[in-house]
Amino acid sequence: MSRIGVFICHCGENISRTVDVERVAQQVGKMPGVAFSTDYKYMCSDPGQNLLKKAIQEQNLTHVVVAACSPRMHEKTFRKAVEAAGLNPFLCEMANIREHCSWVHENREEATVKATEIVGMMVERVKKNRVLPTITVPVTKRSLVIGGGIAGIQAALDIADCGHEVILVEREPSIGGHMAQLSETFPTLDCSQCIMTPKMVDVANHPNIKLYTYSEIELVEGYIGNFQVTIKKRARSVDEDKCTGCGVCMTKCPQKKIPNKFDQNIGMRTAIYIPFPQAVPNTPVIDRENCTMFKTGKCGVCQKVCGPGAVDFEQQDQLIIEAVGAIVVATGFDLYTIDEKPKGSLIKGYGEFGHGKIPDVIDGMTFERLASASGPTGGKILRPSDGKEPKQIVFIQCIGSRAREKGISYCSKVCCMYTAKHTMLYHHKVHDGQAYVFFMDARTPGKSYDEFWRRSIEEEEAVYIRGMVSRLYQKGDKIIVRGSDIAVGVQVEIEADMVVLATAIQPQKGADTLAQKLGISYDKYNFYSEAHAKLRPVECATAGIYLAGACQGPKDIPETVSQASAAAAKVMTLFSKDLLEREPIVARVKESGCVGCFACKKVCAYGAVEEKEIRDRQGNLIKTVAFVNPGVCAGCGTCQATCPSKSVELDGYTDEQIVAMIESL
Amino acid sequence: MKKKKMIISQETMDVDFVRKVEALSGTSVRRCFQCGKCSAGCPMATFMEHPPNRVVRLLQLGQWQRILAGRSIWYCASCETCSTRCPNKVHLASIMDALRKLSWDAEGASKESYVQLANKLFLQNIRTYGRQYEMRLAAVFNVKSGQFLKDLMLGPKLLAKGKLKMFHRKNKNLSEIEKIFSRIEEMRKKGEAL
Repeated sequence: MSRIGVFICHCGENISRTVDVERVAQQVGKMPGVAFSTDYKYMCSDPGQNLLKKAIQEQNLTHVVVAACSPRMHEKTFRKAVEAAGLNPFLCEMANIREHCSWVHENREEATVKATEIVGMMVERVKKNRVLPTITVPVTKRSLVIGGGIAGIQAALDIADCGHEVILVEREPSIGGHMAQLSETFPTLDCSQCIMTPKMVDVANHPNIKLYTYSEIELVEGYIGNFQVTIKKRARSVDEDKCTGCGVCMTKCPQKKIPNKFDQNIGMRTAIYIPFPQAVPNTPVIDRENCTMFKTGKCGVCQKVCGPGAVDFEQQDQLIIEAVGAIVVATGFDLYTIDEKPKGSLIKGYGEFGHGKIPDVIDGMTFERLASASGPTGGKILRPSDGKEPKQIVFIQCIGSRAREKGISYCSKVCCMYTAKHTMLYHHKVHDGQAYVFFMDARTPGKSYDEFWRRSIEEEEAVYIRGMVSRLYQKGDKIIVRGSDIAVGVQVEIEADMVVLATAIQPQKGADTLAQKLGISYDKYNFYSEAHAKLRPVECATAGIYLAGACQGPKDIPETVSQASAAAAKVMTLFSKDLLEREPIVARVKESGCVGCFACKKVCAYGAVEEKEIRDRQGNLIKTVAFVNPGVCAGCGTCQATCPSKSVELDGYTDEQIVAMIESL
Repeated sequence: MKKKKMIISQETMDVDFVRKVEALSGTSVRRCFQCGKCSAGCPMATFMEHPPNRVVRLLQLGQWQRILAGRSIWYCASCETCSTRCPNKVHLASIMDALRKLSWDAEGASKESYVQLANKLFLQNIRTYGRQYEMRLAAVFNVKSGQFLKDLMLGPKLLAKGKLKMFHRKNKNLSEIEKIFSRIEEMRKKGEAL
């Protein structure tokens, strides 16, 4: 026979104003199984909790119901108090008579009756509560960081500095990401390379960081604290241990006219190359698609000139398995493709802006490479078509962003600021030139951001025209830009020498495939979803996986760095314990009833359902059933609702408990 | 002019004129970010073809001809509501004042308003007589503006009260007055004054 204790809180006057708490205590006290019932002004206060602990010990209580506020508010508080008094914390339940009763009713009589019923339901429920042991999971104190841009670099450095081993995986031949491509950064105009490259070198030299470049994630298995990750290390064709980075191979390579992706295809590179001089690691890679040796089997010049004999045409892709306890995803962004519609995508391009047809219509990142001192023009702003300096330059914002018709309704957040920066860079380099900007809204929230934008207008003499461009076309060597100034209410026309389009930010290509490998959720644009938009912005709903940077949504550098450090802090919190404690509210499969349809496996958002074979003593397979890994299960209950044979039960929310509650009414 | 397509280039944007307006009014034109608060509070905005915010916007684009061709600056009552409320410290009333001054010599300025005509006749009067000769001013203004009978019935009343004199009385130091006018004229030629 259970001896239940019921504790009713006044919540100051929040509950007692509308509910006659004394009468509730009296009536609930008469229910079968209830051994003790009382009321108190503030149950959550120290004296309130002591009253509860004392009653458990003196009255020899077996179960506890606290009738007060929402369990979201104080369930943890009371379960802790119950545990301190020597009971299993999961034998304590809360009846919500504040949000569900006193706050939403005015009639005292009716509210009292309802409160009594709510408490009665919880009394019936708690009778069926079982002792649940806390689940512990061992933690592998190594972490994986996917993506070697500024987000990945920052997260890797923070975790590594804390003394934990980090595996950093980057798809490109060098780390650095998009930030390494930028010329200057807003709002201080410091050189991107100057602040980025030291961090890249730190990563390369850090004893706790293991760097895999030109590599991709192949497979992720396991759960929080115990992931098994398979990394595909693509063949570089150059032995990283032997290569000294002298660069002779690149000077001798006969293939010299391959567009360099790092320079937005306006600069050229060789077939054996490093993407940019400051690359980390400083080991070249052979682009097998364009290499004469791989195409025709005849050349091998690089191999002949290589002193240390590092060039290896026979090198194969490698699969490496690493065990890690936490994963930081920092795959970053890609730019909107203006003139093409990617296959199977809902995103459309723009025909009216002539990008891809008119050579002097470029995107923002190409302008960054033109303005960069390490870029193909050595920092001179020159037109791609004839190499002349543009005297009239037009910038157009919101290309792709905030264009529902094109498939993107979000704001890319950084374009207003980087366009303001571009006008400044242009004004600094072309003193007799004039910059014009067509914009819909200028969105500059951030420290010193609006001041920066105003500076580009008031001091750097950029002419901002509120209104969009309808069309632009080539006329002679000029580009005619037709737009409107909505403040004046007239059409405007500018004869431009060059046009720069501020393109939208999109998730990295293949972001959805990676999300499926990791078992994390993503939105309709393929941005990764955080566990809670406000209170858990760096965690995935899947335990042990964290987000950093623009893979979660458009972000600027300061925000990316903050989020990367936050993700690192979350990883370090996880690594601070040897055993990970998890709430035992998890699903359990009743193997006798399970028919192995695996409907639960299909609906599980966390990948917690596994297949388990049941064999007899001779080892013959009897049947295959579902098994819920308690380390991964988040206790959402979807499997319980889905199971056609009612063989899955969520501990703490069993059918038996729910039915008991309903029947008490 | 209002609806005509605007061709924007370094040639069509008259930055020098804008600098003159800025110097005369002592306020920055570039600072305005088109919030529209000036036009929201302007008591005369309904009579203007370019409301105050658009006047500033046109200045930002160096398109002063469009402003001066209209009557906006002449309808401004100089109540300074705009200047008081501007979040960016753009003193719009001073800009309007500067534009009115600059319209004196500007080509293509609006002939719609008689303010310029009145000003001109007023100064001519002073130059000729050394003081104001109201009867002549009123008569010439009516003839030149083509409104012959304007305020005619007011004449007898003013005459009876002695506010209007039939015959003028010249200033004794007319040559001194002439010196002032000549000096200003000289300065205007050199560009030292407006």
